[in-house]
Amino acid sequence: MTNTKMEKYTAGFGLSLVVTSLLNAVILVLKETNDAVMDTMKAALGHHWTTHGALVIALFVVLGFIFSSMKIGEKWDSQKLLKYIIWAAIISGVVIAGFFLPNLKST
Amino acid sequence: MLIQGQMMLHVGFGVLGILLAVALFVDVLNVSEKNMGRIKKLSLAVAVFIFLSYLFGGYWYVVHYGPDRAIIKAGQWAWAHNYFMEVKEHLFFLMLILGMYLPIAVYRNAPLTEKNNRNLVLGIAALIVLIGLLMEGAGGIIGKGVTMGLMGR
Repeated sequence: MTNTKMEKYTAGFGLSLVVTSLLNAVILVLKETNDAVMDTMKAALGHHWTTHGALVIALFVVLGFIFSSMKIGEKWDSQKLLKYIIWAAIISGVVIAGFFLPNLKST
Repeated sequence: MLIQGQMMLHVGFGVLGILLAVALFVDVLNVSEKNMGRIKKLSLAVAVFIFLSYLFGGYWYVVHYGPDRAIIKAGQWAWAHNYFMEVKEHLFFLMLILGMYLPIAVYRNAPLTEKNNRNLVLGIAALIVLIGLLMEGAGGIIGKGVTMGLMGR
């Protein structure tokens, strides 16, 4: 496999996409299983979903700029990044869809 | 009517985002200097439409969804909210950040004629289309959940 250098923002925001999509699932599990977290998120912006969305967007942007300054692009190539993005999407999707599975049985 | 209009804008912008992601996918498969300008415009349009869908859908969900939720949960398709709406409202964030990343991958990840760079953009566009179709399907089930609740069976 060739290891072509990646442009810094493509690599940085790509890694941010990976981390943020996983954190999205973590935030979901945390707020749904912990009343204090849920109440804090409701109080922050009036609705837990609004706060959740703002957190996800802020994390993606802030982590994107942080990772972009870390020269990840010199070690990664686009193929490796795409593999991580796909796995992060699968894991995040399975956690979200799996977390609510008991709701199908209870109704 | 205004409330229904907001919901239609949410769905409409979402569908446009998906369709333009498909168009971008095809254009990237046939990338050349001739269509590079269109690919860049499409990537921006996908990001904007998904973000608009998020704003309209989010506003509608936070402000107007409560009565619909009560109807769905009182009906036989309570799982339309308890499962599909819960999954949809959280999986949407993944589509949102994929949409935000798409223009970065298109504008900064040059040249797209290089196989790995092209595959990255194709992968992002494919994920947007796939998750977008799941969103549309879930939306249809949630809408049917309201109908089932109103029919009282």
